[in-house]
Amino acid sequence: MGFFFVVFGVVALAGAVGVVVLRNPFYCVLSLVVHLIALALLFLLLEAQFVAAAQIVVYAGAVMVLYVFVVAYVGGGDRPAALWRASARQRALAIAFGAAVFIELSIAILGSGLRALGTGGPDVPAGFGAPAQIGELLLTRFLLPFELASFLLLVAAVGAVALAGRRGGLGEDRDLSPGRSTLDLPIPAARGTMAEGVAGYGVTTPMPDPEYKGRKLEEGEGV
Amino acid sequence: MSFPLAAVDYIEPWWMVVIKCLVLAFIGLQLVPVVLLAERKILGRFQNRYGPNRVGIYGAGQPIADIIKLLTKEDFRPRTAIGWLFFVAPILSIVAAFGALAIIPYGPVVDIFGVATGLYGIDVSIGPLYVFAFGAIAFYGLMLGGWSSGSKYSFLGSMRAAAQLISYEVAQGMALIGVIITAQTMSLTGIVEAQQGMWYVIPQFFGFIIFMVASFAETNRPPFDLTEADAELTGGYMTEFGGGRFTLYFFAEYLNMIVISGMATTLFLGGWLLPFGIDPPAWVDPFVVIAKILAFVVFFIWVRATLPRLRYDQLMSLGWKILLPLSTLNALVTAIVVVTLD
Repeated sequence: MGFFFVVFGVVALAGAVGVVVLRNPFYCVLSLVVHLIALALLFLLLEAQFVAAAQIVVYAGAVMVLYVFVVAYVGGGDRPAALWRASARQRALAIAFGAAVFIELSIAILGSGLRALGTGGPDVPAGFGAPAQIGELLLTRFLLPFELASFLLLVAAVGAVALAGRRGGLGEDRDLSPGRSTLDLPIPAARGTMAEGVAGYGVTTPMPDPEYKGRKLEEGEGV
Repeated sequence: MSFPLAAVDYIEPWWMVVIKCLVLAFIGLQLVPVVLLAERKILGRFQNRYGPNRVGIYGAGQPIADIIKLLTKEDFRPRTAIGWLFFVAPILSIVAAFGALAIIPYGPVVDIFGVATGLYGIDVSIGPLYVFAFGAIAFYGLMLGGWSSGSKYSFLGSMRAAAQLISYEVAQGMALIGVIITAQTMSLTGIVEAQQGMWYVIPQFFGFIIFMVASFAETNRPPFDLTEADAELTGGYMTEFGGGRFTLYFFAEYLNMIVISGMATTLFLGGWLLPFGIDPPAWVDPFVVIAKILAFVVFFIWVRATLPRLRYDQLMSLGWKILLPLSTLNALVTAIVVVTLD
């Protein structure tokens, strides 16, 4: 188990470093996916099967899918467009906050965590980390945080729907809701004809003259 | 120290685990050509033609001929492709498909050579979540394949796959909650044993319907095969793949169909149990499961021959506006009924 712990730990760290270091945003997202999967494997080593599965299904399977979706559309290319350039003050602030988080984590780890080193770790009771146990804890001891988290998600979902609804859906010229066929749509200005291809968008295609009956063949012409 | 992912308190000796892995992989590899041939033959009959009938008796050698043809083709790689991702993507797909195959139970714990052996790859306490986790990894196979091809058709195909898979995964998962509430366990062998007397297809009929519809979408089978809609995208995410890599995608797709059929068999059709209290000897059990899986596969093919492909907006509204509320309602009603009857 120690061997696997080292392997997954190294992979998780490498993934996390990759997210920050890599230039192409698509590779950053992939690196984050690798990191999350390595974390899930570490959870598995800790007998937390449900947490491991949830980690992969929720993070790698849903959240990161959206990241990939967005980055694949707008990112891409080795030199992404410089959307935002950090000023000197922002850089200094970033370093200060990074140092603060590091000191805080160091205090937390050195103050409590390292006492378990050198012992065999806690004894794991049978069925530890099983869905039944987690479900029971969620509905008894952690009921309030659980409900608060679900309420927060509900608020986020309502907000997303409200934001999406503000655009007012498809316009009249593209509305194909039930009961409307393509024949009900107005004819667009450009019809994709050959004339438009030659002369450019907006050229009115000359319609055939309904009075035109054809012309007489000249002498020696035709079949 | 117990073994990660082992739900039961014991674990077989290591050589038995190795034998089990080999046998399960063998079963998967043998089922794929059978399904391939069945699909071409049955589709042929639906379309009033014979289907393949030249290679071997009754065309039975056709899958082998197909596979040899694919493996001996040129290993083409477009110049715009991103090399190592293009190489890794199909492997991700096939690894995830084989990984998910391990969870389908073919029978209870039996005695083989004096060793108590479970007729399944692993019996995890998280049950269906295991399959969903591998589904999440399989998604990256599709996505990276489409993105790394450097082709617009592939890219659009993989984008459709992304949207489709996350939309229908929700409804599929919610549909299973009814089964889990009724069985009061997530272990797949436990769910099968809880179905003694009545298969869950009867009390969980709505869950079954929702699960099947969502499964069609999850496996990219018609009528939800928008990710590889030939008329619009030439071939979707696998447009640029040929030869061996295409074979990997192809195998993964059919393996996924078999895994989903196995899941439906286990969760709703009583796994290795037979109806009317028939209790055959233990060696019959795996064949019962395989027969039920093949019945589901025929259903998949039947639907492919019958229904036209959906439009993209119809796909999305079906998933979010119809299946998701219905599956939530199903879980809610099941929970109320189970609590009331207790």
